[in-house]
Amino acid sequence: MPSPTTVLHVDMDAFYASIEERDDPRLRGRPVCVGGAPEARGVIASASYAARKFGVRSAMPTRQALALCPELVLVPPDFERYIAASRQINAIFLRYTPLVEPLSLDEAFLDVAGTEHLFGPPTDVGRAIKRDILRETQLVASVGIANSKFLAKLASDLSKPDGLKVIEPGEARTVLDPLPVSVIYGVGPRTAKRLEALGVRTVADLAALPRDRVMARFGATGAWIHDLAHGLDVRRVTPRRDEKSFSQERTFAEDEGDREWLKRRLLEFSEELAFRLRSHGLKARTVTIKARYSNFKTVTRTKTLDAATHLGARLYSAARELFERVPHGALRLLGLQVSSLEDVRNPAQGQLFQTGSLFGPHPTSPGASPGDPTEPQVRGSAATASAGDAAARERDAVRDEARDEARDARLERALAGLDRLRAKFGARTVIPASLLGEAPTEAVPGSEPRLVRELDE
Amino acid sequence: MKVLCNRDALRQGLAVANTVIPAKTPKPILSNVCLVATADALELVGTDLDVSLRYRIEDVKVIEPGTAVVSARTAHDFVRDLSGETVELASHDGSLAITSGHDIGRLVTADADEFPVVARFADEGVTTLQGGTFTTLVSRTAFAAAREQGRYAMHGVLMEIDDGRLQMVATDGRRLALAGSPIENGPDKFPSKRPVIVPTKGVQLFCRVITDPLSPIKISVEESQIGIKTQNAEVFARLLDGEFPRYKAVIPTEANNLVEADAGILERKLRLVANATGDETRAVKLAVRKSEMELSAQAAGKGAATAQLEIDYKGKDAEITFNADYVIEGLKTCESGIVRLEFNEKNAPGKFTLGENYTYVVMPITIDA
Repeated sequence: MPSPTTVLHVDMDAFYASIEERDDPRLRGRPVCVGGAPEARGVIASASYAARKFGVRSAMPTRQALALCPELVLVPPDFERYIAASRQINAIFLRYTPLVEPLSLDEAFLDVAGTEHLFGPPTDVGRAIKRDILRETQLVASVGIANSKFLAKLASDLSKPDGLKVIEPGEARTVLDPLPVSVIYGVGPRTAKRLEALGVRTVADLAALPRDRVMARFGATGAWIHDLAHGLDVRRVTPRRDEKSFSQERTFAEDEGDREWLKRRLLEFSEELAFRLRSHGLKARTVTIKARYSNFKTVTRTKTLDAATHLGARLYSAARELFERVPHGALRLLGLQVSSLEDVRNPAQGQLFQTGSLFGPHPTSPGASPGDPTEPQVRGSAATASAGDAAARERDAVRDEARDEARDARLERALAGLDRLRAKFGARTVIPASLLGEAPTEAVPGSEPRLVRELDE
Repeated sequence: MKVLCNRDALRQGLAVANTVIPAKTPKPILSNVCLVATADALELVGTDLDVSLRYRIEDVKVIEPGTAVVSARTAHDFVRDLSGETVELASHDGSLAITSGHDIGRLVTADADEFPVVARFADEGVTTLQGGTFTTLVSRTAFAAAREQGRYAMHGVLMEIDDGRLQMVATDGRRLALAGSPIENGPDKFPSKRPVIVPTKGVQLFCRVITDPLSPIKISVEESQIGIKTQNAEVFARLLDGEFPRYKAVIPTEANNLVEADAGILERKLRLVANATGDETRAVKLAVRKSEMELSAQAAGKGAATAQLEIDYKGKDAEITFNADYVIEGLKTCESGIVRLEFNEKNAPGKFTLGENYTYVVMPITIDA
């Protein structure tokens, strides 16, 4: 039974870069990129179409982007503004259907089945959404419409920028056949290479192979990509997120036992994962460390945080704690994973007392004066002498927590500024002290940090 | 000891004592009730070291004064299931015999010297207050105190003298209830000049022993505890040592939008619409336009609901989203029948006026920017 053509994929064109251009007219028309500084081995998170003319792409190392386009304007990311715009856009989606599945800050699947009587056919909804987004956020979206997620996304990719494209069930074959296999979700560079060895270059080539053969070669993934090659995708639009976790791991050229050096790798992983969480509009609550020894024995340790975070420092402090529980020994692999992901745009219960200002400065911190507005106004009575150890410990924990939250708030505010400093004076001035004076680590060729979900735009 | 007393009175006393006495505790002695027979009364003493109770039963006949320490749970259950009208308590060599007619139970007694010393109410420097005044302030505030989560200092009710009134405040960081009442003796007589935080378990027990709203109670505050004395009970609670948030700063003083509505109708309509919310967020949107409020909620995969009610409102169209449960909990305690809601932006706190000197502030839910 053919599914109705009601799945929309809405994808913002060069989202971060467009927000920067919108908010700073001086940037308009110039090759603008949002990303990390080259000194910090940053990558491009978003490139304007002017920058793309030079061959600059998202997920490309900034160093390489600058080589392609020396006049590139590099802007450090300011996620607060991206999240705000993303919320606005999400609210527009919800006017048309409750079935909205956000993929990241700048793209989402919508299913508009059953809304025809209210808003007309899906094409009209697509146009209306594009119009609302442009009018209310001054940003441009591309929309793909089909009967499945895969084809809808393909349609929006093919229509970019500022496009609207429908792939009707009858034309899926014609559209798909000439495209390279890499358009199939799940076919990364490695799979593409293995497919090429089988003589498969286009989607038509893959579709022509017997399903059994693809399955024998690629297992479950084989069945999946073979179905997609035939335009078959049974995934439904669900308001839940697909992502369950992000991870980052590295196999070392030689087994490594230096705990300090290994901790610095965890710091790098933490910063990278935090960046990816922020760009997906997610926060993580669970952190897992994975260590594989020379003899291939693997241990994992997990910790659940009190509050979900997208800050590198918070992830690192958990990672370091977990690392203490990993037995000493030379490691061939070290990895970090974040899971229990929460969407930052979920309805958020407001807090009466601003984080960090609730309890004022920590008693031992300098600068607390009686007239300080952050000084607690009301103090409960003291029963210190008789309160016992448990109560004292609890108080300490509460204070630590208050201090952590205050630090998080400051860190979050400083994030954009920190990135700007980095961009201006170079990574060496603002990288964590522990990475000072260290040469960038080289990964083993072919074992680059692995992305669970490939960045796509 | 040997005492004769009314079964019902004893059962009731043991029931109150069991609200303090912990069933499971690392210090087994604390799971006991200490029965003290003096010349003219039987006293039940229980404590969990944070909250303590002395409960006096006067309608007794003491044949031989003395003390017995027995399991509070077992004593209560045994007395509850007895059928006679009168009960005899008699201690003898490591056991307490509880007798009613031919039915008899012998409970093992613990060493009375091991039982912690529980303070006795001192009548100096105390103030007198009508019991009902106290319980009303507690019922208007304590529900908003933090439960499992939140900071230590928010797990209780703040009591202070403010602007000549006794004021109680409780908050869990998302909503805040504040109620005040003039006190009969005048604010200067209140035994504490500084604000104190009383743990929620403590204020609940206070209310449990205030059985007659018209009878006076006495309040005392010492360095680390607060005590109240009613006609037949003394309760002490260890004060929470912590920093209560700067609550005055978050109470809105000016509002662009002022709504007045029937509290009962609003509560019913909120309950109705909240049926269509999800388990995680109980968000209900309140949209106001001239003389009318529309409540709406939806949850993915569940459905949507809307409801309308008449209100008194003259301003521009505006909206704000709240956790329906928070608003309903406040409305339940509204005695004036008319609730007034004041709010500004949809991400700033809304202020409900639920009665005289009774304010309830709720932080909204932000759904979109």
